[in-house]
Amino acid sequence: MVSLDRRFLIGNFRGAFVVEGKGKNPTESIFRLMLKHQFIDGLLTCSKTGESPKLILKSDEVELPSKNTCFGVNSLLKKAIQKYRFSRLAVYAPACTFDGLNKTQYFGIGCNWTKTAISLKVGFLCPGLLTENAFNAELADIAGKSTGVKRFYFDGGNLFYLLEDGASLKIPLSVHHHYTNSACRYCLNMAAKGTDITCVNLKEEDRVLLIVRSERGWSTLAHLQKTAPGEVLFRKAEEELLASVENFLREKILLNIADIVERVELGLPVPKWNDNKLRKFYRIWNSVDINFEEEVF
Amino acid sequence: MFYRDKLSFEEEDFKLKVGFLHFSSCSGCQVAFLDMFEEAVEILDTVELVYSNMLTKRRDIPRMDVAFVEGALCVEDPHHINLLRELGKKAKMVVAVGGCAAFGGVRRLSCGNQLPQPQHQTFVPITEVDFLKTKVKYAIPGCPPNPSLLYSFLLALLEVNEDFLLPFELMTSSTKASGFDIISEVVNKGFCVGCGTCSTACPTRAISFNRECGKPAFNANLCVHCGSCLAACPQSFKPYPQPVYV
Repeated sequence: MVSLDRRFLIGNFRGAFVVEGKGKNPTESIFRLMLKHQFIDGLLTCSKTGESPKLILKSDEVELPSKNTCFGVNSLLKKAIQKYRFSRLAVYAPACTFDGLNKTQYFGIGCNWTKTAISLKVGFLCPGLLTENAFNAELADIAGKSTGVKRFYFDGGNLFYLLEDGASLKIPLSVHHHYTNSACRYCLNMAAKGTDITCVNLKEEDRVLLIVRSERGWSTLAHLQKTAPGEVLFRKAEEELLASVENFLREKILLNIADIVERVELGLPVPKWNDNKLRKFYRIWNSVDINFEEEVF
Repeated sequence: MFYRDKLSFEEEDFKLKVGFLHFSSCSGCQVAFLDMFEEAVEILDTVELVYSNMLTKRRDIPRMDVAFVEGALCVEDPHHINLLRELGKKAKMVVAVGGCAAFGGVRRLSCGNQLPQPQHQTFVPITEVDFLKTKVKYAIPGCPPNPSLLYSFLLALLEVNEDFLLPFELMTSSTKASGFDIISEVVNKGFCVGCGTCSTACPTRAISFNRECGKPAFNANLCVHCGSCLAACPQSFKPYPQPVYV
């Protein structure tokens, strides 16, 4: 039985901080500093519009996807690690990308020596990914507008889009749920468990909530503060903010669970949280008898 | 002296005896083993290489605990038939390494009747040979498999890490192992998250990434049936120990 508590929804973490970036996106500032001070030698993510995966090598080129669209990040993995020989790669992507990455690291299938080449995994809290066409259809449905989406953020437990015309639009989750990528409708890991740090976009563009999960994430941020003090400001996150994130996740996951249950009722194959998985591989899904385990490699 | 001899005997006896056997393939899988470099040194004190057509001089095949087999069986080649019989007698466990041995690989595209050996026409992956059915325990996908995968696999074999080995055990019963699997088992069933892992796993670029729909695009003409894409997909089997909520 799934218990929708904080441990399930957000996952285990060491600390949560509201980070301010002095007028700039703090996550971008952190990656810029990490590249500048050679903590990492490359950043694997998507372009700002999220249309295509991107490998960033210089600190002045750092631009993170601002919309909830970020596809194909792992398709550049082999190029980065085997062709260009990056050994301290950071990855910024949604949780599903890290599922692929963690699997590649654990088994070694796909890309060689991924286990030792990744130095930091930063996931963003994902309300479900949309393609460009899905964005257009969703906006037409909710607001009757054809303008583009500039960025997405969370405020008071709700999802908002900042539109290109400057207006903010509250997105009803029940509508948003139907426009997301099909696999996102069965996802139970929207808070990017299995990463070092989870980043939650807030209303102000120069503020984010960073949920630090692993020792690696913790020590990287501590080392960064020592190396470049005052560049980004950390403040312990209020309980209310975490509670609002938790409420958002609970609402979305209830919709996702309803979809999973519907698939079970219809006798359709269901995703990995159930033991009735893809034919020949179905047996191993729930083969590990543990109560709770998250691994960050 | 007597004591030292006894000790060395025990040490030798403790070592896992492994061998590499070569059927119809390019030998790339064996080369991938050699690519482990310094990582291989870590396991050399627990593993003894008793036979390899590339690395050892001996001609007869000794008894071994684990036989790593690369390549597909050519039924018309008497050397292969003899090798198969020897394998059945001498190996306690067989691991099919790479696409050719595990799923047919590039041999699936062969129609035979070609020079220099026009008589060689039938190629069967080791996993489909009933004679070895009880011995073929694991199949490792890839063309060739990554050295890091082979290293992790050897470690898991030595540590009897069943959680790691289980997917490879299930892969012995897989027969399709192509990009069609990704489309039919993952994309068509609504599980594709668009992460691009299958695309990076493909050694021949048969799977590219369709940016408009955020899903993989498959070119069947380039696929060599190595099984990497489905094995790498995070939606095909669990990526790492998953939380079970009670």
